[in-house]
Amino acid sequence: MRNARFLLLFAALIALLTACVAPAPAGAPAAPAAQPAPAEAQPQPTGGQVVIAPGQTIRIGGSFALTGPIPDPGKDIRQAAEIAIDDLNAAGGVEGFLFELVAEDGACSGDQGTVVGNKFAADPTIVAVTGGTCSGETFGLKPILQRARIPFVSPSATNPAITDPECDVCNRVALSDALQGEVDADFVYNQLGLRKVAVMHDNSDYGKGLAEIFQNAFIRLGGEVTNFEGVQVGDTDFRAVLAKIGANQPELIFFGGYSTEAALIAQQMKETAGLENAKFMSDDGAYTQQYLQAAGAAAEGTYMSFVAGDAQADKLAEFTEKYVAKFGVEPSQLGPFHGQSYDSVILIGEAIKRVAKVDDNGNLVIDREELIKAIRATKGLQGITGTLTCNEIGECGAGGVQIFIVENGQFKQIAGFGM
Amino acid sequence: MAVTTYSSTSVRFRQKTTTRWLVRGLGVLILALVAWRVVTVGLAEGYPATFWMSQLINGLVLGGVYALVALGYTLVYGILLMINFAHGDVMMIGGFTGFFALQFFMALGWLQGPAALVALALILIVAAGMFGSVLTGVTLERVAYRPLRGAPRLVPLISAIGASLFLQYSVLLIFGVSPRVYQKPALIEGGFRAGGVFVPYTGLIIFVTSLFLMLMLYLIVQRTKLGRAMRAVAEDKGTAALMGIDVDRVIVFTFILGSALAGAAGVMLGFHNTVVKFNSGFIPGLKAFTAAVLGGIGNIPGAMVGALLLGVIEAIGPSALGIPTEYKDIIAFTVLVLILIFRPSGLLGEVVSEKRA
Repeated sequence: MRNARFLLLFAALIALLTACVAPAPAGAPAAPAAQPAPAEAQPQPTGGQVVIAPGQTIRIGGSFALTGPIPDPGKDIRQAAEIAIDDLNAAGGVEGFLFELVAEDGACSGDQGTVVGNKFAADPTIVAVTGGTCSGETFGLKPILQRARIPFVSPSATNPAITDPECDVCNRVALSDALQGEVDADFVYNQLGLRKVAVMHDNSDYGKGLAEIFQNAFIRLGGEVTNFEGVQVGDTDFRAVLAKIGANQPELIFFGGYSTEAALIAQQMKETAGLENAKFMSDDGAYTQQYLQAAGAAAEGTYMSFVAGDAQADKLAEFTEKYVAKFGVEPSQLGPFHGQSYDSVILIGEAIKRVAKVDDNGNLVIDREELIKAIRATKGLQGITGTLTCNEIGECGAGGVQIFIVENGQFKQIAGFGM
Repeated sequence: MAVTTYSSTSVRFRQKTTTRWLVRGLGVLILALVAWRVVTVGLAEGYPATFWMSQLINGLVLGGVYALVALGYTLVYGILLMINFAHGDVMMIGGFTGFFALQFFMALGWLQGPAALVALALILIVAAGMFGSVLTGVTLERVAYRPLRGAPRLVPLISAIGASLFLQYSVLLIFGVSPRVYQKPALIEGGFRAGGVFVPYTGLIIFVTSLFLMLMLYLIVQRTKLGRAMRAVAEDKGTAALMGIDVDRVIVFTFILGSALAGAAGVMLGFHNTVVKFNSGFIPGLKAFTAAVLGGIGNIPGAMVGALLLGVIEAIGPSALGIPTEYKDIIAFTVLVLILIFRPSGLLGEVVSEKRA
């Protein structure tokens, strides 16, 4: 009796599983040419075409850090992307075809980026990808999307190596940390006049990459870096490493990483011998309301840098209005990268408009190779973060680096470079 | 060498005298290498004495937290011979319960009141955390472990891992992924200086409270009737039942004790490090388990010693050996491996009744 019931349950489970899996092959015939033909012995497989039947949508994948260390900024980026999709559709889409956002959780990690990348690569209806949010996550996406010939535009991955001459599908709207690290080091050395700093990072591709750039730039300027210490994303007790740094009495700690760890370091360094009067500076990963909230009083007088766009006030106001109407929250309450996210999606959408054609059967046809070239060829696109023009390696962003100080629980801009 | 009780594996060990001396020699060699490294690299850095003192304090505070959690592992192992891998998450639930209690008392305005009221509120917050953890622990025992009591030993272990994931992701689903931030009342904000060494109030509270709770636990186990029943059940469940002991009740009581300690640890850790999130019990849980094995699993004083030792090694180790602090976990787990090689039953010895050994 017991066995019989178990078998029944098992059978039901199998049935359920098959039901879940079944729709995938059914959707495939919509784009028969999307898979690269395995017989062709080309070194660089070509992507073929995406064929969208009437009534179907143009599917844009999104890899967002919805879980992981920076869930609120991740959510902000996702919601901004949805507003951009709404705007593209309100403007009529492409030849009557509407856009659809396929959001996945990239979790700000390389592992999860790989999972999301494989998911998009296996789905022949995905035309392009916006994301990933974090650098590590984007490093997970990058090789898979390159092989699958799916172009991506990251709104917020700032590690310099995200774009490179070898990768024609890699693009971003955010500015590279090559700039941010240099500017931060210059600010600390020349504006604050400090000569002896310690550098910390969270061992993420993003945090460590930025910390290394900062360190090299600071040493080149003639400063001294007393410590270069790594921690882990998710650590909460930094007292031991801070005590070690404190023994060398640096004038400032620069941290490359995300908001929670930055807030805890800012707090705990106040209790560490040798660091009572040291200043603290962090980056765009920590430039969030969550940092202010978690660090509390310890945030006062700390510095943050942000790879800001060349904000277009009227466009931003219009965007914010729509965002608040749809989600009931100010975008800046969640994170800093909404402008970049909106622009990433618009950039993709405009490129699709330029290459999409309607065939004799009324299908919308998008050639993948043409789309990859079209995104790279973006010139003078008016976005929230300024006039976007992609260069030969896929750096599309405008703007510069802003530096903020925390005063009375608010970020106050005190400097801007390359704007 | 003092005569120790050997488990069946070490009886074979004793017969092979040459192997034993070889292993011992290797142990001495490793200790010598570590000492050499400390002298030539760690001490050569020239850190001041206050630096070592503050690292020691960091380590003792960390060790106090590990000890409270480790006791839960050890108590349950002593009685059920199973590793309750969900124990770290039971601690996390305590941290969350404490957070909501803190919000409640803040709304009541108690934390802005006179010091006595704040202290009372803090004690109630810790009690709330303990209550939340106890509720979770007892439910786990009833739902995930008791039905598997007669099963092979691996089965409840798998169930425990499942329970751990269930707790983590339930919290993720309900409260989201963002960390909750504990706001310290002014009374316990900051700290004091003793001889140039900064001691945070929260750290001192953790250390003193954990010593107090450990003492209470020791008295309960050694001096009360229930404690005697616990020891009897640990010795032999069947015989204990024949003597009229309600084994189920004793096991539930064990879970209550362990979970209460974990809950207290969760809340105090929340105040100390100010954040709690869905996975914040995972790593401390793993470390506490390590501490329990280090001291000899099933052995109550062993868990305390192992935990304090582990905390101190983690805090001092990287500086003493002159390696980056990010490898502190490697040091902790290397110590575990070495202990398992040279003293397989832990520092103070695994407490396993004759019958099982």
